[in-house]
Amino acid sequence: MATATDQLVGFGLVTFSLVLFVYYTLWIIVLPFIDSDHGIHQYFLPREYAVIIPVAAGLLLLLFIGVFIMFVMWKSGKHAKKSD
Amino acid sequence: MTKLGQWLCGLALLGSAWAALALAPPGLQPPAPLRQALLPLPVYLLVAFGCYSLATVGYRVATFNDCEEAAAELQEHIRAARADLRRRGLRLEPQ
Repeated sequence: MATATDQLVGFGLVTFSLVLFVYYTLWIIVLPFIDSDHGIHQYFLPREYAVIIPVAAGLLLLLFIGVFIMFVMWKSGKHAKKSD
Repeated sequence: MTKLGQWLCGLALLGSAWAALALAPPGLQPPAPLRQALLPLPVYLLVAFGCYSLATVGYRVATFNDCEEAAAELQEHIRAARADLRRRGLRLEPQ
């Protein structure tokens, strides 16, 4: 059995990704087929954001990964210099 | 054909189908709501795949089979081995 924190974090991730998936599916696929005077549209941003937000998030992710790799390589280079 | 080749062929097929529908001239376009749902489809599939990956990682973290007794026993073995080696003269770094 995983520890209680592990279970909490794990199932939290599952719930979060489920909610995100349902919301995004509604936004992209279901909403175009619903009349524009229905109340559900007030819970969703304008459609352009459905593309802008994931693309921006993806770019941010790539940025963080790049910075992390840079940091790790710099650290390992510094250690090699110290041992000389 | 390699797995990579198969995946690339599948992607090329789906990609060209999507491009054909998305870049169709105004006369041959699918009806407006369908086209509105179709255009962001590549981004949607990427986000859906990301959600699936996140859910899989979370589920595996939550159902991981910890063996705490085995871990404690292993630490005990390590401690005993280090003491024994140090007694026989091997210089070990402090852990």
